[in-house]
Amino acid sequence: MAVREILLYPHPILKEICTPVTRFDAATDGLIQDLLDTMIAAGHSVGVAAPQIGIPWRVVVVDVSHSKLGRDANHGQLVLVNPDILEREGHCISREGCMSVPDYTGNVARAASVVVAFCDRSGERRVIRANGFEAIALQHEIDHLDGLLFLDRVSSLKTDLFRRKHR
Amino acid sequence: MSHFALTIIGHDRPGIVAKVAEILYRLGCNIADSSSTILGGQFAMILIISHPRFRDGAAFGQAFEDLEAEGLSVFLRQLRPGEETAPKLEGELCMISVYGSDKPGIVYPVVKALEERRINITDLNTKLIGTADQPIYVMVIEALLPPGQELTELDAALAQLKAALQVDISLRPITPVEL
Repeated sequence: MAVREILLYPHPILKEICTPVTRFDAATDGLIQDLLDTMIAAGHSVGVAAPQIGIPWRVVVVDVSHSKLGRDANHGQLVLVNPDILEREGHCISREGCMSVPDYTGNVARAASVVVAFCDRSGERRVIRANGFEAIALQHEIDHLDGLLFLDRVSSLKTDLFRRKHR
Repeated sequence: MSHFALTIIGHDRPGIVAKVAEILYRLGCNIADSSSTILGGQFAMILIISHPRFRDGAAFGQAFEDLEAEGLSVFLRQLRPGEETAPKLEGELCMISVYGSDKPGIVYPVVKALEERRINITDLNTKLIGTADQPIYVMVIEALLPPGQELTELDAALAQLKAALQVDISLRPITPVEL
């Protein structure tokens, strides 16, 4: 359908709690297509959440299969409607940035593995376990649906080696 | 708008940041990028500030004299126009960890190897850890590998240093991910 403009903070939609999708109709399908088109058009992007293109609905798309970090473990192109993280396991830190917060990155601690329940594009209920970079991308995009940016999750100021508790 | 770099260093105690921020607020200064941390027992602040009217350091008058009276060292540097923004540097971001039993001459050979390859250091922390009997020196560097240079080449150079200096060195890319 269309490549949409990625909204930048401080656009208020980015801080909203998004509404669950109740119908798998043409409007929902159009939104999904716009998200996919926008993700693909932003060549470096591995995911887009609906609020980033101005729609406060609980829909995200993720595809880490073309990125170096996610190539080896992924579910290909994912459309997640009303996603819900059921389980989190492990811990990893990565340097995250966000298309909606340009020119800034921060170290964010996230679960290394997640189990996510969601409805796919056809409304079919699915549950997947994602690991590594795909898990990070899913957590980042799903955070957008609750008005959370990676800035809300920054776990350390750059080098965190020296900031652990004293012996 | 004129920009200045302001550094403040002194024995750490609660309240330094609040005092500095109050002075800058009352002067009408903007704080742009800043970084502050504890090193040893010293609290060190580095701030890029600007003021809509101040043209030079003299305009600040005696604004910082209270801080100096409390034992804090204050240094103000006027920036030339344009110096307040960082140029966008291309390359691959990587982390280098260097650590081992403390001895003189760990830092220089490592950073010299980086400089020889025109590798830009974007962040550097060192810390003395371990015990009095067995002090351990740790240095962590974030650096930008210029386009065209391979991580493996740098890795090989660092492996030589590792043997020469008898320290442990590891190198890894950190690939910031834009999501």
